[in-house]
Amino acid sequence: MTSSPGNVLAVARDLLREARARRWTLALLAGVTALLLLAAFGLELEVVDGALAASRFFGRPSHGGITAADVALRPLFEAVAYMVFYGGTLFGVLACADFAPALLAPGRIEHLLSLPVRRAELVLGTFLGVELLVLAGAVYGGLGLALIVAAKTGVFGWAPVAAAALGAVGFTGVYAVMMAAAMVARSAALSAAAGAVVWVAGIVAGNRAAIAPLFEPGLARAVFLALTAPLPRLSELGRHAARVANGLPLDPAQLAVQAGGTALFAAAALAVALALFERKDF
Amino acid sequence: MTPRRLLVAALALLAAAALLLSFGEREPAPTERARVDFPTHMREPEAERSERRATLTLPAPPPEAGQPAPAPQPRDPFLVGLPVKPGEPIVVFEANALRHSRLGELFVGCVLARDPRAFSGIEDELGIDPLKDLDRVAFVGDAVVVSGFFDRFKPERLERDARPEPHGDAGQLWIPEPGPEGSAARTAFALWKDQLLLASTDPEDLRRAIDQLEGRAPVPDAGIPEDMAYGEVYGIIPGAAARRFFGSDARGLGERLATVASRIEVHADATSDLAAVVRVRGEDAAGISDLARSLGAALSVARVEAQATDDRQFAELLESARVVDGEGALSLELAVPAERLEAWFQGCGPAHTAVAPAEGAPGDGGPAR
Repeated sequence: MTSSPGNVLAVARDLLREARARRWTLALLAGVTALLLLAAFGLELEVVDGALAASRFFGRPSHGGITAADVALRPLFEAVAYMVFYGGTLFGVLACADFAPALLAPGRIEHLLSLPVRRAELVLGTFLGVELLVLAGAVYGGLGLALIVAAKTGVFGWAPVAAAALGAVGFTGVYAVMMAAAMVARSAALSAAAGAVVWVAGIVAGNRAAIAPLFEPGLARAVFLALTAPLPRLSELGRHAARVANGLPLDPAQLAVQAGGTALFAAAALAVALALFERKDF
Repeated sequence: MTPRRLLVAALALLAAAALLLSFGEREPAPTERARVDFPTHMREPEAERSERRATLTLPAPPPEAGQPAPAPQPRDPFLVGLPVKPGEPIVVFEANALRHSRLGELFVGCVLARDPRAFSGIEDELGIDPLKDLDRVAFVGDAVVVSGFFDRFKPERLERDARPEPHGDAGQLWIPEPGPEGSAARTAFALWKDQLLLASTDPEDLRRAIDQLEGRAPVPDAGIPEDMAYGEVYGIIPGAAARRFFGSDARGLGERLATVASRIEVHADATSDLAAVVRVRGEDAAGISDLARSLGAALSVARVEAQATDDRQFAELLESARVVDGEGALSLELAVPAERLEAWFQGCGPAHTAVAPAEGAPGDGGPAR
């Protein structure tokens, strides 16, 4: 029997409702809002007919020449894109570590399994809910900053939004492993640790061509390359967002390879999570 | 699906991910645009080139009372020989360096693709190969000064209109008889030491240039000093001539430029990227600063208009445009990255075979021969 999309969405909706009630999620949201307010009040950008004549951050001049505002703002959008991408995925690791363990909490899981919902639907629904939460958080931060800059300069940059979307793509691989870890032991700490390891490993994997020569040719290098081969290329995905920020064309073939590879890795980790879940008796 | 099958599927998916990510892996694309090196000052190869070119020793100026006579400084004959008049613009093209630049090769390839005899025809008629014999070309008011190797120069073409007459120690003039009244002035030519070829509608320009070279006339202060001869194109536009150069525009920028600028310097570098710096100097610092803002805004608006009208070439030119507001001076920086230059020349036929930069390579101070 196949999973019902309706059930998967219902589980995801429940998760989002639960997230809204959590203080931890609200605190992180407040942190992002504080950063946005800091940018809104601290950044002074003087634009004359679409050219950036001067920029100041809390009174300190930070720009020398007069140039087209969208060109001058590229470094800012690049920084924001990286912040949204890496900050968004890290936010996901911290804020969402508890969702899968909470799903398996005694009492709750028995109740859920008594409903006409399959185990696979529970896993997929939780995964989808967390993905939507991370995407919403990243879009809130990225789009918020893009809108603040647009209000001050008239220039709207898509890079933070692209970074949020790419961050959500990269996070699929991270969170799938976090779910599998939660199935091994019902622990938010273990889930977060597994997520952090994949997050760092994904950054390393994105730079593996540059790192590989640091290993001795032979077994050490082969093991490094084999271990990093299936990992999501997180840093590569982040670079695509930086290219958008700098007005450079995207490489659709590379983007498709990296997004496709990440999806396959996430599917593999979810399959492991489901296999472990299926083996459990409640 | 049983847990065992799920684990087998997981392994298969992991292997597929590894295969896709490894075999599809390529060198990471750069996330930043390449930095353009703007010609803001004389760089070491250009300083060496300038030193090599200083081969003309003019008599030293008379010493001040009680002071020892200053040692004569060797100078660049090309810059000494420019027949500059106050208020007239001067623009110098480093023809040989430009020819060996990326832009030059693209341009030559394009010209040859359209007309394979474009340059050889000139060589047949004048004995000068424009691709090898020319070093620099200067436009000084109405005069043109060309430096290079003219030992194979065929004066027959000039002698159809004028008889040669010597001037000074090493000068030769071809001054045609004036035409009927009301007709356009005819161009006179001069050759100095097989090194400099000059042309002007005013024969006095040619005489004065040779006199400057041979120490019989002072070298005008309004010319180009040696330390300003950097980049592949450089020049000076006096403030008064700026209005004529920049014309009138809706924002009145040309007129404002002419009002506040006492002197405009232009430097362009085409070695790889095409990068240009236009430096405007003036006494009115507030006016210059105001103009800098207006120019920045005008460039930005022009870029938006170019994007809106799908004028890609102009939009790309303005992509890196920047105005730097200094103290009493502003610099306008414009650049076209090398790869975009190539894109502009696409469809113009295959590029002419690159000539290896030998003796006359950019920064070498002389043409290829």
